[in-house]
This record gives sequence, structure tokens and C-alpha cells, in this order.
Amino acid sequence: MDSAQNAEAMTAPHGRQGGKIDIGVAGGGHFIAGFLIGAAALTAASLALLGIDWVRLAGRAGDIGLIFWRMAHFTLDHVDFTLLSFMDTFSIMVLATVYSLFLGLAFGLLAARNVAGPVIAPVVKAVFTFLRAVPTPVWVLLTLVCFGFGPVAGITGLSVHTVAFFTKSFAQAFEDVPEDTVDALRALGATRLQIIACGILPSAVTQLIAWTALRFEINFSECAILGMVGAGGIGFAISAAIQNYDYGEAGLAVFLVFLFAFCMERGFLYVKKIMK
Amino acid sequence: MQEPLLRFDDVSKVYRNGVQGLSHVSFSVEAGEFVAVIGPSGAGKSTLLRSINRLQDITSGRVLIRGEDISRESGRKLRAMRAGIGMIFQNYNLVYRLSVMQNVLHGRLGYMSSWRGMLGLYSEEDREKAAALLEEIQMGDFLNARAADLSGGQKQRVGIARAFMQEPELLLCDEPIASLDPSSAKIIMDMLSAMTKRRHMACLVNLHQIDAAKTYAGRIIGLRRGTVVFDGPPEALTDAAVETIYGVPASELAMKECVS
Repeated sequence: MDSAQNAEAMTAPHGRQGGKIDIGVAGGGHFIAGFLIGAAALTAASLALLGIDWVRLAGRAGDIGLIFWRMAHFTLDHVDFTLLSFMDTFSIMVLATVYSLFLGLAFGLLAARNVAGPVIAPVVKAVFTFLRAVPTPVWVLLTLVCFGFGPVAGITGLSVHTVAFFTKSFAQAFEDVPEDTVDALRALGATRLQIIACGILPSAVTQLIAWTALRFEINFSECAILGMVGAGGIGFAISAAIQNYDYGEAGLAVFLVFLFAFCMERGFLYVKKIMK
Repeated sequence: MQEPLLRFDDVSKVYRNGVQGLSHVSFSVEAGEFVAVIGPSGAGKSTLLRSINRLQDITSGRVLIRGEDISRESGRKLRAMRAGIGMIFQNYNLVYRLSVMQNVLHGRLGYMSSWRGMLGLYSEEDREKAAALLEEIQMGDFLNARAADLSGGQKQRVGIARAFMQEPELLLCDEPIASLDPSSAKIIMDMLSAMTKRRHMACLVNLHQIDAAKTYAGRIIGLRRGTVVFDGPPEALTDAAVETIYGVPASELAMKECVS
């Protein structure tokens, strides 16, 4: 077998190949080849399953430019509706993230092994792993059934996924706090709550801020999509405008989304810079 | 007969993986004693110190603080006993994002109600005491500096101030100078020695450096494989005694220290 010989050569102490010294990890070459072959096979299978009509696709490609051209010519006929929808999206994002932040802090502590102990922490983690595995739009659809169409369903549905996200990332941040720090506070007679408030939270605060900023960004883009499943906001405005072939209106809404997302990212970068 | 400040009564510790940390250790320490604990790595020096304030539990025997067995206590009583025992660590173990003052004031947490401590509601008296302590260790200019921004020697001084803030009767120092350069190490040892003497505080110091142990300690305990193999004044620590503790001739040990 050729590959067996290859493996032998690679695990040899000074694996020379073609006169050059092999600098990779011994036996590491097969993984990448396997990955590429696997990816190719899956791509072929997916294309076959979807049955994409390539001829029609090529025929329509020219329209993309035309649509963008139309969208670039903003129309202001329904600008009040667009702006109101945008404010809806903004409010949903802020409320969902802030509510989840508090819940995430509480559950994050319960999911951190060095805070809640080796029994409770894995159970809490498992519950939230399940919640996180279900995508946000599905949660929103489920909450739509309970609360009806509108922002309440959006906030609740988005919060489920956000709490699960915060629980996992905050628990990780708490677990990264060195055991030494906790030991020192235990040794001087601090209570469990004092150790959390005086040792664990201050040590983890930079990471908590970074995760919250990231989630604000994710939640904004999630919000933009959620409108399309009926949770209100800018997503609804975009899909309604496109359905009416009102490309100028849709273009304005998309531009607003882009502008806000861009400003938010710059803003958080600045915050991170001052936090060091 | 009055109980000594600290008494180990036939203490043994077996780790879950079967390693014997301490085996039948018995000794006692009186108020005001400065004791150095020496021994090779893995001899049980850290285990010894950490079983006093219950950062580690012992397997059998008793650790008595003024006659009370701390190894059986839990909850409120354990915290009250811990509050009376200060500890200084090799890696300082501060909360690095907080200020020097906040770190020093942590020394009062064991004496405060849980919520007052959580909210950082330290009394004015405690604040003044913390500032005075920092003045005493020449850190008066750094009250509001972030602990992360200090040098190693400065961090260890904050660790000392935090421990003294507890007004403990007993101070435990786990390799306090192992991460420091020689001049910082000397400053720290001088401070520990002078400050404990002034307050008539008992001090138990784990050390790697035999020279430092001989210079500062009034008494030396030598550990080897979890057993006390030497217990006496520094004058009695002969080359033969050093060989029993470290398992290699003292001359060879000196050579190694020079090289490293």
C-alpha cells in the first residue's frame, strides 16, 4: 500500500521527502486530503439533490445588476413607514439583548463549573445547548403562535436564543477566571456570593462586554430577518416593498440596515479600545 | 495547659489518585513564631499550608487552631476561622482588574455581611487602615492603580497588605518569593519578617531557598515525602540534615543553586 508507506515515512524521526526535511506534524498529511475529497463528494451530492436549473440561472444573472440599479434610486414615498419599522427593529434588538443579558448572567453563573459546582453546571449547560441548537427564526415562529404577530413575539423568540448564547459564553468567561483568584478569596473567609461579586465578575468583565457587543451585532441582523417571518420591524418593510416591486423603498431600508450595522461595529470597536 | 495557636495532630492526606500528600504530621506553632517549611518539590509543603485554612481537606488527623478543629468546621464557622488566617501566594492571586485599594480591602470580606461585601461597602475606618498599611509597605502612591499594572514585587506587597488587613493571628506564605527577582525577594522577606514581629503574629513560610530560611526563620521544618524529617532552629540545620530533607548532599544542592 502506497499510503501505508507514506505514513511510515512521515512518522520516521527525520522524515525526509524529496531531499527536504518534512516540517509538518507526523502523520498529519492525510487529514487535509480526506477533507477535500469529502467536501467534493458532498458538493456533488447537494447539487444533484437541489436540481438547480443552470441555464435559467445564467439567463437571469443580468437582472441582478438591474435590481441593484433600481434599489440604488431611493424613493421616499413611504419613508415614514420605513423609519418606524427601523425603530421597531432597533427596540426589539435592544430589549431582547438587555433582558437576555440579565438572564444570561444568572444562568451563566449556574452553568460555570467553578461557581455552581460539578453537578448543577453540566445540567444547566445541557439545557441551554438544546435551546441554542434550535435556530432563532424557529423560536420566533413558536412564540408567534403564543403572542400573535408583532414585536412581543420577536423579543421573546430572539431572547430564547440570546439567553442560551450568553449562558454558554458567560459560563466560559467565568470558568476562565484563574482558580488562584478564587482560592485567595476563599482563604480569607469570603462567602460564595462575595467571591462572585468581588472576584469572578470583575475578572471576567472584559470578556462579558466583548460577548455582549458581539451579540448586539448578531441580534440586529437577526432582527432584520425576523420581520420576514412576521415579527415586525425593518425586515417586514423590506419584504413588503420587494413584493410590491418598490425597489427604491427596499433599497433605502437595506441602506439603513447597513449604515446602522456599520456604525454599531465602529462604536463597539471604540469601546473595546478604551476598555483595553 | 493553654492550647498552642496551631497544632497538627497526626495529620495525613492521601490524594484521590493515591499520592500521599502528608503522612502522620504532628507539630505545633506558638504565637509570634516565624517558621520556614523547606523540602523538595512534591514533599507536601503546599498541602501542609493549604490544609490549615482548608483550601484542601485532610484525610485523617486534626488541625487545631487555638484548640478548635478547623478540619471539621463548615459554613459560617469555617469562614470566621479563615478570616483569622492570612495567606500569601506565589502568584499573588489578586483580582487584577481591580484597584490596589479594592484588593487590599478584600481582606475585610470575612468580617462583613455577605451583601455589604458584595457591594464593596467598606467602612471609612477600614479604608483608612488599608491606606495606612499600603503606606507602611511603601505602596502609598499606588492606592488607585490597577493591580494588573504593577510589577511582581509590588503585586506581592499588595498581597501582603490584603493578608494583614485581616489582622490575622497566623500568616501562611506559600512560596512568597519564588516568582520574584533577588532584590524584590529580599524586600518581601524583610517586610514579612518585620511586620509579623511588630504584631507578634505567627508566620509559616514555604521556601525553596535554604539560605532565606536560615536567615529569616526562628525555626525550620523539613518535609520529605509528606513526613516531617527535621524540626529545629536554623543552627541545627546541618549539611547532614539538609541531605536527609533533599535526598542529595548539601554541597551538590549548593552547586545546583549556583547554576540555576
